[in-house]
Amino acid sequence: MEFRTRLLETLRAVRSVLNEPGVLVGGSEVPNLLEIDARSSLVVSEDVDIVVPVDSHDGVKRALQSVVGFQQSAEEPSVWLPQRPELIEVNFIGMDSGPRAGETYVFEDAALPLLVFGNLCLLRPGKPVHVEDLVIPVPRPAGLLAEKLLTDRSGDKGDRDLLVVMGLLLVSEPADLDELVTLYQSLPPDQRYSIRSNLGILSLLEPRSQMPDPVPHRARLAKLMARFERADAT
Amino acid sequence: MTARLHERVRRMRERALIRAWEYRQRAYSKGVWFRLRRVLVDAERAFSIPEGDADQLESEGQQPLAVGHELSPAKRIFFVRREQLLKLDAVELPVRLTAPLLQATSVVLVAHGSNDLEGELGSGSAPGA
Repeated sequence: MEFRTRLLETLRAVRSVLNEPGVLVGGSEVPNLLEIDARSSLVVSEDVDIVVPVDSHDGVKRALQSVVGFQQSAEEPSVWLPQRPELIEVNFIGMDSGPRAGETYVFEDAALPLLVFGNLCLLRPGKPVHVEDLVIPVPRPAGLLAEKLLTDRSGDKGDRDLLVVMGLLLVSEPADLDELVTLYQSLPPDQRYSIRSNLGILSLLEPRSQMPDPVPHRARLAKLMARFERADAT
Repeated sequence: MTARLHERVRRMRERALIRAWEYRQRAYSKGVWFRLRRVLVDAERAFSIPEGDADQLESEGQQPLAVGHELSPAKRIFFVRREQLLKLDAVELPVRLTAPLLQATSVVLVAHGSNDLEGELGSGSAPGA
């Protein structure tokens, strides 16, 4: 079964969760969903991140009661493992836009504890993706680009995550890049440095199978770097 | 039940501390890789050249980029225009931090779309270098 089918089947299975206010599909599947007809040509990992605002946690727990086809992982209780081959793993991750925005912490809960990632507070709801019978909430590209460029990364997984940034850039509009630069300007200097550092690493990455090749787009990455530097100078 | 999540948070906070330290050290040796990558970001192509060609470029007033002197052994890195490149005994290298580029003692870089930037590149300094 092709990856796109499994991704969409998984999102169909958790549709009740996706209907909760503020919930977003995040991570590496977003560029797949933003491709024409959610073509899903990138295979970074065979799982999907569901971003849960801590304010919507109760609603998500209630919605999960109607979800079938998954078993909660005993070791990682925020991970739901597929019980059918046509599904992929679902990772529930927390987002806090309230007083603890920017902080990484564990949201304790007996049924659905969450790892709240500080950088996810950069995400804002974007235009939902309509594909087949699904309406899939996704973040605006700018916030996701910033979040991905800020995430600590190392090794092959880190490189593949950066290539997801390339995939996102390829489906971004000029207005998304304007928004990214504005968002960049709002960040503290150490985070801006991390973004420029990771953008530099991305520009020099080797092509990987089933991933966007940065080589033909290196001039575009250089222009984005220059825009960040100009933003720093103003 | 949440022990693994707490362990991940602990590791992430540890990495954040390291990142903050690296940021504070960015002007020193810890920032060299950032600066070298930054130079390469602006390069469409990279070439190794013989020492004699590097001497010739310097004698013509071309200044090697500062980041090359931060490496040990030091490396002479120049941005050149395409027509300058034609006069050099240049061997192309992949534009990434791999052994061929790191082993080369003299490197010339050609900026993206340098045909359009001839007037702007000046004497060997690239944007952000």
